[in-house]
Amino acid sequence: MSNKDKYIKVFTKSFGINKDKLKKDLKYNSISKWDSVGHMNMIAKLEQEFKISMEMDDIIDFSSFKTGIRILKKYKIKI
Amino acid sequence: MKKSLNSTELLEFQPNRYPFLMIDYVTKFSPGKFAEGYKNFTNNEWFFPIHFKGNPNVPGALQLEAMAQMLTIAITTLPGLKGKVTHALEHNVKFKKEIKPGDKLVLKTKVLKWNRGICDGTAQGFVNKKLVCEANMKITIPEILEKFLPKK
Repeated sequence: MSNKDKYIKVFTKSFGINKDKLKKDLKYNSISKWDSVGHMNMIAKLEQEFKISMEMDDIIDFSSFKTGIRILKKYKIKI
Repeated sequence: MKKSLNSTELLEFQPNRYPFLMIDYVTKFSPGKFAEGYKNFTNNEWFFPIHFKGNPNVPGALQLEAMAQMLTIAITTLPGLKGKVTHALEHNVKFKKEIKPGDKLVLKTKVLKWNRGICDGTAQGFVNKKLVCEANMKITIPEILEKFLPKK
């Protein structure tokens, strides 16, 4: 599975959404399941999937699907 | 640190107060791992006259609160967290038997995961060694959780 597929899977599984929902750059708090708890669950799943540990500033900055792609580059993960 | 907390000592780690303090004694605990203790229910409890007249029993919501307060002790005894306010996020609870005036509810809680202000844990309540309630719980210290959330 490619990194992109893994990344999309984390979002669709975490928030119970179809991947079509990600085309328009899904944002924090734009759907009910991406709330504070959903955010922390999604971050934990990303860390597990990509075997990384994210810094606090990156967790705060991770405010959308697209922003996350940029942030993961810091951890040498190309989506 | 001591490994038990009497009714006065536990107030340092648990911000709830009468009439909402639902634990009397912490018999043993390990910060970040578990907390166990009990709540004695007497006829003097404020809710027994109204829940229910002729058949007093402990409301399920308060049983859940007792379990959450004991789990909180397992977290707030960690360094730097004494007395912090916790909030419930998600609970999945089962009530198995009524708790009556005169019963001693023994509470056993375990921390499954504590990370970035969120605690996943389990709790069980026993009366006379019989399981009367149990829950999978997710609680948070909002003050910590909020530090990790996007601001936009």
